[in-house]
Order: sequence, then structure tokens, then C-alpha cells
Amino acid sequence: MESLVHVYRPSAVRALDGLDLSVGPGERVALVGQNGSGKTTLVRHLNGLLRPTTGRVLVDGVDAAGLRVAQLARRIGLVFQDPDRQIFAGSVRSEVEFGPRNLSMSEAERLVAVEEALAAVDLAGEADTNPYDLGASRRKLLALASVLAMRTPVLVLDEPTTGQDLRGVARVREVIESAHAAGRTVIAISHDMRFVAEMFERVVVLRAGRVILDGQPAEVFAKDSWPSLESTFLEAPLAARVGARLGIGSTPTDASLIAALASG
Amino acid sequence: MLRLESVSYRYAGAERASLRDIDLRLEYGEVLGVVGASEAGKTTLCLVASGLAPRAIRGTLTGRLLIDGIDVAGQRMHELTALVGVCFQDPATQLSGVNATVFEEVAFGPMNLGLPVEEVVERTTDSLAALRIGHLSERDPARLSGGQMQLVAIGGLLAMRPAHLVLDEPTAQLDPAGTSLVADALARLASGGSSILIAEQKTDLLARICDRVVALDHGGLRLSGQSRAVLADPSLQALGVEEPSIVRLRRLASEAGEDPARLEEEAP
Amino acid sequence: MARSGQPISEAAPLSGRLPTFLGNPGPSAFHRLNPLTKLVLATVTAVAAVVLGGIVGPAVLLLIAVAIPAAGAGVLGRLLRTSLLLSLPIAISALLVNLFFFPGGRDVLFQIGPITATREGLVFALEILARILAISGGITLFYLTTSPQALVTDLERRGVSPRLAFVASASVQTVPAMVERASTIVAAQRARGLDTEGGVVRRLRGLVPIVAPVIMGSIAEVEERSMALEARGFTRPGRRTLLWAPADTPVQRLARWLLIFCLAGLIVARSAGVLGPLP
Repeated sequence: MESLVHVYRPSAVRALDGLDLSVGPGERVALVGQNGSGKTTLVRHLNGLLRPTTGRVLVDGVDAAGLRVAQLARRIGLVFQDPDRQIFAGSVRSEVEFGPRNLSMSEAERLVAVEEALAAVDLAGEADTNPYDLGASRRKLLALASVLAMRTPVLVLDEPTTGQDLRGVARVREVIESAHAAGRTVIAISHDMRFVAEMFERVVVLRAGRVILDGQPAEVFAKDSWPSLESTFLEAPLAARVGARLGIGSTPTDASLIAALASG
Repeated sequence: MLRLESVSYRYAGAERASLRDIDLRLEYGEVLGVVGASEAGKTTLCLVASGLAPRAIRGTLTGRLLIDGIDVAGQRMHELTALVGVCFQDPATQLSGVNATVFEEVAFGPMNLGLPVEEVVERTTDSLAALRIGHLSERDPARLSGGQMQLVAIGGLLAMRPAHLVLDEPTAQLDPAGTSLVADALARLASGGSSILIAEQKTDLLARICDRVVALDHGGLRLSGQSRAVLADPSLQALGVEEPSIVRLRRLASEAGEDPARLEEEAP
Repeated sequence: MARSGQPISEAAPLSGRLPTFLGNPGPSAFHRLNPLTKLVLATVTAVAAVVLGGIVGPAVLLLIAVAIPAAGAGVLGRLLRTSLLLSLPIAISALLVNLFFFPGGRDVLFQIGPITATREGLVFALEILARILAISGGITLFYLTTSPQALVTDLERRGVSPRLAFVASASVQTVPAMVERASTIVAAQRARGLDTEGGVVRRLRGLVPIVAPVIMGSIAEVEERSMALEARGFTRPGRRTLLWAPADTPVQRLARWLLIFCLAGLIVARSAGVLGPLP
């Protein structure tokens, strides 16, 4: 499966300023940075909702400029941050069916896709519930399910853990893990550095529409990178800070810190 | 002192009560954190404690809301504003949307109270100073960052000089810069002796500012006690609440047979 | 117009301790006119253009009550752009319909296939155009030179309920937020494969997923806003404190009444048939 995404020098109101980024198939990439750093603008370029002023977006090596949003939606599933800006249906099930129907999935495939997506976010028991009777956390999971059901090779999540409680975050983690296991590419915007460090093998830090850091969590959250992180008001996860203070190397995750403690 | 006495609340049209038999006290000068999973009743608790439920949101309240020992059931919302101020998640909807400058936005509440101009100005200036946002006075509130907007919203509440503040996840929709801006301001208010009831998912923030913490589950009170004890309670995760980062690290270290004291220095 | 408040004939501030940046009215003398004066001027211009009819009447109004003040206030360029944008769709359809389908048109100008353009149709279309331009020009001039807050404050000072004034002002000021929300919703649904680039039927079917979240979102937002307002004492009965109010002068008061009086006279004259049709 090929799902190479490449954004090249778009500069919509300089929200993105000569940005180059390529994401390989099956990669898990976190985009971090302040509001206004260009994260949302960037992901909206991936499926053609925004078109680059200059530069190109390549999806699977094909210039996205020649493809309609509805066509790109088969490749790139984008979950927006605020579920209330997409939920419209009278039941949880029909909300999740909306995407697959738009993609003209066969009925058999659609049924399976919808059931799987609902099960993935633990909403199978609420299929006939009115989405507005769900709390904010579960509405957010519903929005995630509605894009999962489209079975796109690339999954893009805009702040999937914001406003979620512990159980909701656990669901999101499971979804990312199983998508990864299935070979799908996962790109997520997040402000939650622990989530980022633990769930993604690559972290891209944006500031003012440019990439200022790009690497594995152990690199991006290593002490040498802190000045760059601080320049955009980000702070490494606590585990990384403790590890640095104890001088036991870069330990971006709890697990890596404990392991380093044990060996040191 | 703000007190909920055997409070239950059911929204109009809802089958079940969102709060059940809550007893809660917020002393003067105290910061009380409220944790709980989504739909556990945190927002409803904030609505009831601020008097908005049932005054602005229809529903049935049983039990009593007492402020300084007086049952406020018969009082209208505008009479409660000097007793308790309330702020919600979304900074954009907290602002009136009609004021051209931050100064006027913060002055909006005292203006509504019909206070003399001199007092409106004094309260506004004090409130801006308390949150260190005096430099934003001339700015258009609609053109601020999320964190700045939330500070302006809190400033608008402080200008009402409420005896108690109720904050419902004030940093939930903010980015890291906005969160630390608001958290620092809250920490200053807390150490300055304000009485604050704050519902939050971010237990790291609560660990920093709270004296006491209570946990809600399905509308009922499950845990209540000193902040340190409740936030380190092993049942917290089962209630759908994330442990503070340092608590989690300490626990993981002990589980791995390491000395958690080695991590201690980093504690907030 | 309710006028219960004490007349404030001097400009703000009401107190020496107020910050000086409050209630900055704008750069020109026209900007500094009382909002009510500008509102009366806009309304009288619009109504008079309709009552007068013809081409010359509205054109003269357009020049005297819109173009010259706009030039004086330095907003002529923006006024042209905004009011043309506002009136263009109506103007074009009025022009086409009347030019080609004016009933009783005899004097043929030219023909395209089966449809005929008549001189009578053209004249009638131009008359409509003149009225539309006078109306949209008057309203745009008011909008460009008056801050909503100044209008609300002024109305409130004159005894209009602050709630009413707030609703009027908030509904104008939440338009950009509504537009932003709607565009996010459109983007979210397109990301889910909703094809808005297709034919008419497709577009119509695509309306529900867009309109429903817009409505639900607006309801939720209104609810949140009204709670936030209640929490800040907005529902308290009685007068609010105003920090400043736009200046008003006896001359402006007189001018407003004169304008209204002239308009009333014009309406009476036209309905009594005293004043014949203008060209």
C-alpha cells in the first residue's frame, strides 16, 4: 500500500511558509505546535479542503490538485476537532454510515465497516441512540468512528484527546494502535505531549508555518531540543524532564524512564 | 462559605438525575478541585453551585445551596453575582461579544449592576491588574488568543467581586501556551486567598493549585479529601480520572521496584 | 423613539478617570455624528428614494445624502464596493426581467431570438436600479461609519431596553462566527466524502448534514452565551451604568426632526397626488 503524503511550499496567508514534509506509508506522525502554527491548515491540505497557494501536495505520488475532495476522502480520513461541527444524524449508526455511503461502499462492506468502527470506540451498544444524548467525550468518539468506517489508508486526527476523559483517551489509543497494526498511516495533531511521546514514532514540531523539529520522540524531547520547544511554549513530558535531570538519557515516555532507572 | 446540602439535580426531560445527593463545602480562601469522567456530573455541579441551574437551565433541584449559611433558593441570578461567579470552557461564548475593548468587556458586569462610574473603573482596573492583562485594555476581545480570551472572561467575573469563583474546565479548549497562561493566573488567585471551585480533567493543574479535591462518579460523590491524598488515591483511574504525572511516575517506579523518592524533586 | 434618559449634549467621557481610548468614534466629522442622526439619514434616504420614484429623485438623493458625505468621511471607495456587492444580484435580475419582459413595452430597442428588449422596460429597470442604489448606499454609509457599540450605547442612553439593544447588536456581531462555523462544518462533511461539487440534486441532498449542525451549534451557543450573560448580571432590571455615550447636539436633534418632517411631508404630498410623477 502506498500512501505518501507530500506538502510542498503552500503559503495560504503564510499559515504555512515553505513547508516540506513527507510521510511514508504506515508511519505514525504527531504534529505539535501552538494554535496558529499551521497544524490545522496543513492537514486540510492533505485532503484538498485547502489548496496550496504555491507548492504541491502529493498523495501516493499523484498531485492532489487534480483530485476532488470527495475523491481524496477515499484515501485520507480527516477527523475534525469539534464533533459538534459534523454530527447531524438522528442515530449513532446513521451518523457513522454517512461516510461509507458517500464513498458508495457496497452494502455488505458498509455494514461490516460500521459495526467495526462502532465497536472500536465502544459505541456498539449505542447504535440507536441520538448522538445529542451522548456526552461530549462520547460524541467525540462518535466523530472518530464515523471516519474510521470509511476505511481510508490514511487517518488524520485533529486533537483527538482534547476534552476526552481517561477512558476516551484509552479508546483513542486503541484505535491508533489497531490502525497502525493494520498498516494504516496515522497523522495526529495534539497538545498532549505524553500522548504524543507514547503513541507516535515521529514528532513534527511546527512554528509559524515551518517545521522546527522533526524526529523520534527521544530526539524531539531530548534536552538539546528544549530551547526549540520552549520557543513555541511547549514542554517535554514529565518523564523526559525527570530523565534529563537525573542524567540518564532521553526518556520521553514513562516506560523508557523506568527502564533507564532500572538499568542505571 | 458555599455549601451544597443533599443536592440532586435532574435536567428537564432527562430520565435520570445528573447529580445525586451531593454534600459539598467550599470554605473561604480554599481551592476545591472536582474530578470525574465525562458525564460524571462536573458541569452540572458547576451549574448548581453557581445558581445557574435551575435559574438559567431548566431542571429540578432538590436539596439546598447555601451561601454564608443562607439558602439562596429564592434569589434571582443577578442577586447571586456578588456571591458566586462562574466561567465555562469555551472562551468565545464567555465574552459578551458586544464590547469593542477588553476594558469594556471586563467592565460589562459592574455596568450591568448599575454601579457608579468611578467604582466600575476601579473594579475593572483592579481585575485587569490581578490577572496581569492591563496591557490588553485597548484590544478588541474578539482578536485575542484563546488563553487571553479566557483571562478576559475570568477578569469579567472578578470585576463582579464574587465571594466564590466556580470554574468549569477553564483550560480545556486552550493550547499549551493558553493553558499555562490561565494556570499561572489561577495559581496566583489561589495563593491570594480566593475561594475557587474548579472542575478539571487536568489533574496536574489541580495538584498545583488545590487544597482539597472531590471525585464524582455517575452524579455521586466518591472521593473527598486533601488534594494530595485524593489525587494519589488508587481508585482514581477506575473513576475515569487520570493521575497527575508525578503520581503516575512514582507508582510506576514502585511497581518496578525502584525508589520513587528519586523522582521527587520534580514534584510541583 | 423613546427619550427617557437625560440628554447628554457633551461628548464622552462621563468621568475624568476613564481611559481615553473608550468610545473612539472614528476619523471624520461624519463618523462623529450621533449614531441616531446617521440612522435617521439612512432611513429617510431609503424611504424617500422609494416614495420619489423616477430616476432623477433617487439620483439626487444618492449624490447629496450618500456620495458627498461618504467622500467627506473618506469611505467612498469602500462604500462603492460594499453597496454594489449588496445590490448587484437584485439589480441584475431587475434589469434583465424588466428590459425583456416589461408588460406593455412597445418601443423595441433590440431583439435576441424570441425575446424583445423595450425602451419602456429599460426605463423602468433604471428606475428600480436608482432606488436600489439609494437604499443600499444609505444603509452601507451608516454601517461603514458607525460602530455597533456606539449605536447600542446611544439607544440605551435614550431608554431603549439594553436587552433589545444587545440582541440587535449581538446578532450582527455573531455573523462572522456563524460563517466560520458553517465553513468548518462544510469542510468536515466534505472530508467525510460529501460531494458539494456535483449537480443541483446532489447539492440539495448535501444540505441536511450541513444545516443540522449549524442549527444545533447555534442553539448550544445561544444557551451558553445567555448563561454567561446571566452570570454577569445582565438580567438585572433597572438602568445599567454607561461609561461613555456618543455626543449629541441640539443642531443634530433639530436636523433629525427636520428630516423626518420632510419625509412625512413628501409621503403626504405623494399620496394626495399634489406632487406629480418625476421623470
